[in-house]
Amino acid sequence: MPLELRRALVAVTLVIVVVAVLWASRFDAMPPADFSFQNGTDPKTLDPHRATGQPEGHILFNIFSGLLEALPEGPPDPETGVQALTPQPSVAAGYEVSPDNMTYTFTLRRDATWSDGVPITSDDFVWSWTRMLHPETACEYNFQLFSLPYAEAYATGVVDVGDRVEVELWDRPGETTTSEANPQNFPRGTIVYGILKEIAKPPEPSLPENASKELISSTTAKWQSSWVYTIDVAKRDADDILWDDVESVETFASDLDSTLVQPDTRRAHGVLVAFDQLGAMETPDPYTFIVHLKDPLPYFPFLATYYPLFPVPRHCIELHGKPMWTRPENIVTNGPYRVGLRMLRDRVRLVKDPNWFNADSVEVETIDAMSIESANTALNMYTTGELDWVYDQPITLIEELKGRDDFHVAPQLAAYYYELNTLRPPLDDVRVRRALALAINREQIVQEVTKAGQAPAYFLVPPGIAGYQSPPGIDGTLDEAKALLAEAGYPGGRGIPKFTILYNTNEAHRAVAEVIQQQWQNNLNIQVGLQNMEWGSFLDKRQQKRFDISRAAWIGDYPDPNTFLDLWLSESIQNNGSWVNEDYDRLLAEAASESDTTKRMSLLSQAEAIWVDEVPAIPIYHYVSKHLVKPYVNGFFLSPQDQHPLRLLRLENSR
Amino acid sequence: MKRLVGFLMRRFGWMVLTVWAVYTVSFILIKLAPGSPFSAERAVTPAIEQQLRARYNLDASPLRQYWDYLFGIVTRGDLGWSLKLEDYSVNQVIAEGFPVSASLAVFALVFAIVLGVTAGVISAVYRGTVADVSMMATAVLGIAVPNFVLASLAILLFVFLIPIFPAAGWGTLRQVILPALCLGAPVAAYVARLTRAGMLESLMREHVRTAFAKGLSKRTVILRHVLPGAMLPVVSYLGPATAGVLTGSLVLEKIFALPGMGSHFIYAATQRDTFLATGMVLVYTVLLFTMNTLVDIAYAVIDPRVRLE
Repeated sequence: MPLELRRALVAVTLVIVVVAVLWASRFDAMPPADFSFQNGTDPKTLDPHRATGQPEGHILFNIFSGLLEALPEGPPDPETGVQALTPQPSVAAGYEVSPDNMTYTFTLRRDATWSDGVPITSDDFVWSWTRMLHPETACEYNFQLFSLPYAEAYATGVVDVGDRVEVELWDRPGETTTSEANPQNFPRGTIVYGILKEIAKPPEPSLPENASKELISSTTAKWQSSWVYTIDVAKRDADDILWDDVESVETFASDLDSTLVQPDTRRAHGVLVAFDQLGAMETPDPYTFIVHLKDPLPYFPFLATYYPLFPVPRHCIELHGKPMWTRPENIVTNGPYRVGLRMLRDRVRLVKDPNWFNADSVEVETIDAMSIESANTALNMYTTGELDWVYDQPITLIEELKGRDDFHVAPQLAAYYYELNTLRPPLDDVRVRRALALAINREQIVQEVTKAGQAPAYFLVPPGIAGYQSPPGIDGTLDEAKALLAEAGYPGGRGIPKFTILYNTNEAHRAVAEVIQQQWQNNLNIQVGLQNMEWGSFLDKRQQKRFDISRAAWIGDYPDPNTFLDLWLSESIQNNGSWVNEDYDRLLAEAASESDTTKRMSLLSQAEAIWVDEVPAIPIYHYVSKHLVKPYVNGFFLSPQDQHPLRLLRLENSR
Repeated sequence: MKRLVGFLMRRFGWMVLTVWAVYTVSFILIKLAPGSPFSAERAVTPAIEQQLRARYNLDASPLRQYWDYLFGIVTRGDLGWSLKLEDYSVNQVIAEGFPVSASLAVFALVFAIVLGVTAGVISAVYRGTVADVSMMATAVLGIAVPNFVLASLAILLFVFLIPIFPAAGWGTLRQVILPALCLGAPVAAYVARLTRAGMLESLMREHVRTAFAKGLSKRTVILRHVLPGAMLPVVSYLGPATAGVLTGSLVLEKIFALPGMGSHFIYAATQRDTFLATGMVLVYTVLLFTMNTLVDIAYAVIDPRVRLE
């Protein structure tokens, strides 16, 4: 290399270094927020129909408002400081329930608007709930609306001959009959209504027996796309569909290469039950929204306080599409706060929306939801005053924190349990399951392992649900456990097939598993293996039912025993242990159609008694929520649902 | 000049090949990993999972997915959508995280080089003195202590005992200093040892003896005749060190709650975020390749005997 070039390159390097340092030291100073809290991992999405977790909830509950809002009511429990949350008016100024608990009439506020000033009307709810249920939205919480007639069939895409159906033609924006599908399911293509006369299906492709889940579902989907639907297309007048007046008979298919396609078959995205035209929801005027249920769910108002049922802005979603509508520069919200800023792995900044209908009641102007995963880091930042609220503290420090005035613990609607695979010996024997459940010393676990004041669990449903009487829990002595084991053919634990506890890699889960392993060894002379797996593989193994005993936990979706009990319905996809009990299924079904609250709760309690008796899972403890909140923060309420409306916060000036 | 351009062209060709190979291998590995990106404690119904797979083109045949994704990368530079940060494309995730990681790396490396070279030169020149022994002992310690221990100590010292730095976070110069020091410390230690070894070797050389014999001042000899030669091993180490600082910041990103790229790298893999994981691997491949190329050029700059091949 010639000398001049070498000199030049040295000079260039020096310049680059200087520029790099200058670039790296440039920071846009951002004023700190009035209130900052630890929000765990990054929120997955700000779309209420796609979100599922706690970090998403902390933001969505404050940037969107639903028909109702869960707010603390009544005095706090003198012992625990917990206040029950009840459904209170929000976008709906009030609601009426019919005597049979099947019809809810919500009266909407006239001053409720989207953050861009567009008024919110009852049609927004019809549209939002239809979007929430639409199969292509893939909302994981869509079951929360399954109590509306036809909702489940709509969401799962099940149609039968004779159904009143909607057909979405292949003409979404940008689509031609030969093009690929536009993945934006809203705005929709042209909708044709009619009655399904016939489905012509080519022979079902056969699959090898050991085909993977992916292969099965993609083959089935491909097969279904080749179905040809014959429909009596209904006439329409100005605002009604005249279902019984046949305009024409037409055929539709989503794959026009199907062998059964006729020359005039039209291409369509699919045929679904015409959910939004079948009377589940009514909008007599822009400010009245009527919902008809097929079951008298007493907890329906609670469902209306959860974000999957919140309205979403049609004009914004149809303009930007998903997921672009959730970008901070695009998103339109309707809650007390707007999204001011969103930085990955850093924060979501919430800014008070002065146009929110109840803006006067909101005191804190800016709030930072900080994406901080490490409990130690969060505690450091809390100690140095950079955070005002931390809800995940290092387990090793819990005992030290417990003595502090700014540390609050409240029972939570959540259970920690061991799921048993009831198809695998020896766990297929109920006596073995009972013996194992009896031989666990839960007091030792909550006192020496979890330490924060968790309650030992002898039944499934966490205490504290209004009107629910828990059945007697798992109860018995060690001798009884040994006798049960002997009865099952394993006296003194001899000859019992080996089985393993599966858990996802985590210090806390390992500690619990080790204690239980020790207790079973000491009490029953049973040796169990421990197996830990990282999260993805763990879930895979569980959902494929390839485990003996698996760690599991469930946080209630709404304050009702049903949210826990329906996990063990024979048909439930959460029932990884394959436990089947007809009486249990029947009791839950009866409870669902029972409009008398007391009777309903008693049916649920009977079902839980069967659960306790049959031990499809071993309950271990009920969770507590743990909060470190600065003493100058008022209006931070403790509740079993562990929701904390940020608009109620009040900051004392003395901070 | 011609040789330099030719060298760069050849290197670029190799890089394309390497990236393609890395893409293929990571694609296969991700397909073989158990678990689905859509699993959660609440099981997703088969219908919903099928919709999601269709949305992300994961329902096509593996070969089709392989080519579609590659086609998107080559023609549009589009790395796809993140499956776990649904509102973001992989390009956006990288665009937000890279500047943070890069600015942290710049501070860490500048600190490491300045401190490391200075310490190395002093140690070599004053070989055998107390200064030499203590500096090299510190360097050994610096290499041996993992950076999360260092970070914990630094937080204890400079956040709680002497409160001059904030505990964590990103956005001001004060928040960068502590993590940059922790990230740069092991590199500084290594650089110091390499510099010292290089200096000692150079000091034995005949041209150095000649320079002394000519009567040049000690300072001139060391700066002009010894140091450039001693820098060769340091420069060759800086390539991998830069890549290491950019990728290895994972632990520090967690401790100091920094929104850099390192954490995405790990989470994408553990959570089966197919596209984000592939995108990260490719970005790091390109980074590593670029760094090594720069190192090779720097070699030729420092040592006239080196030819770019």
